[in-house]
Amino acid sequence: MEFQSTAPMEEKTSSSSSDDTNPCPICLGPIIQPSYLDKCFHKFCYNCIVQWTKVVSGKHSCTLSSIKCPLCKTESSSIIHGLDGHYFQRHYVDRDFQDSFILSKAHKYRLQCYYTEPGFLDDIFNVKRYWKLRKYLQANQWLEVWLKRELQALIQEKDVDIIMHHLLGLINSFCSRNEPRYQTETPELKRERFSRRILDAAKPFLSARADRFVLELELFLVSGLNIEAYDSVYLQRLGWNEPVMPSVAIKEDLGLKPVIPYLYIFEYDPDDGD
Amino acid sequence: MQASRARLFKEYKEVQREKVADPDIQLVCDDSNIFKWTALIKGPSETPFEGGVFQLAFSVPEQYPLQPPQVRFLTKIFHPNVHFKTGEICLDILKNAWSPAWTLQSVCRAIIALMAHPEPDSPLNCDSGNLLRSGDVRGYQSMAKMYTRLAAMPKKG
Repeated sequence: MEFQSTAPMEEKTSSSSSDDTNPCPICLGPIIQPSYLDKCFHKFCYNCIVQWTKVVSGKHSCTLSSIKCPLCKTESSSIIHGLDGHYFQRHYVDRDFQDSFILSKAHKYRLQCYYTEPGFLDDIFNVKRYWKLRKYLQANQWLEVWLKRELQALIQEKDVDIIMHHLLGLINSFCSRNEPRYQTETPELKRERFSRRILDAAKPFLSARADRFVLELELFLVSGLNIEAYDSVYLQRLGWNEPVMPSVAIKEDLGLKPVIPYLYIFEYDPDDGD
Repeated sequence: MQASRARLFKEYKEVQREKVADPDIQLVCDDSNIFKWTALIKGPSETPFEGGVFQLAFSVPEQYPLQPPQVRFLTKIFHPNVHFKTGEICLDILKNAWSPAWTLQSVCRAIIALMAHPEPDSPLNCDSGNLLRSGDVRGYQSMAKMYTRLAAMPKKG
């Protein structure tokens, strides 16, 4: 009996929540590029709420860290948009909208990978063999560019150099150093130690995605491929290798990035315990 | 410019649809200029403005709804937050507290609410504000009622 009484209720709520006839409160028209404020989740057109945010922050001499919802006055610090069921983008109010980082196609594909089940490439890239044959002793020259893109996609910010060099330093020192006290370490233990160290370093920046990040990083190292080849293997396996993702686009996104040495960063490295 | 026009046009359609729903407010758009509106609002009951009909003039900026509309009373009114000569209205939502979610219709409702609940501590009409602040509610009400009769009611004979 109870089921019968709850069923119509559920139907009612689902139909009202999927009701898209609600116009944008700012332009009163149908909502274009739905965007939400991060506290109250009121919905607006992307352009409308961005325009309003600009007007509000233009009235203040200092940069605002939050904006009041036009409907309920709840303070929100960011606008969530581009939601497609897999990923979303976020605009923080205290940042200039012109400077904000827009994810490229390649970034989006990387971000989407974090919603797939891990391990579906294990038959192509042999992780165990990598550790057993100490393939990590060969440096991967594409690692820096790969790391940068990965971090940009995950953090959704353009300038990730500090984090990238921090992680890069850790990885390189781990892979190249062959300390005598670890000489007898089994490949499994070595792998575990690697995962733990990267996880500790990445956690503060990537929080919940840090675990998967370690797996993805390992996978890239194991592949030994450059980014283009790695992407095409990855996309092929995912079944996403439609012509929308030509290698030219990736090259454009990644090939032209200048490499800035940030060596002094490691002097100020709180994690550098040993 | 285009955005404000589109939005005002939407409001115009909404006003036509809602006419029956809110009989206290009658919003009319200027025949030739969608940025000029007038409204007739009924004085709220159990206030000195009861029975009066007050005319408001709206001037909508091109940045609307990012900027608030300018509203003033065309009908003379004795109220602490309305300038006695110019009809200017002191209301937070028309200034700092403006939100683009307000519409001309809801601004009218806010003005009706202001008529019923004056704020004597931020007066534009000091005489009216001082009467209320000194606790002379009767004096305030009779003055307000007199001006409602003089200016906001149809003249008899």
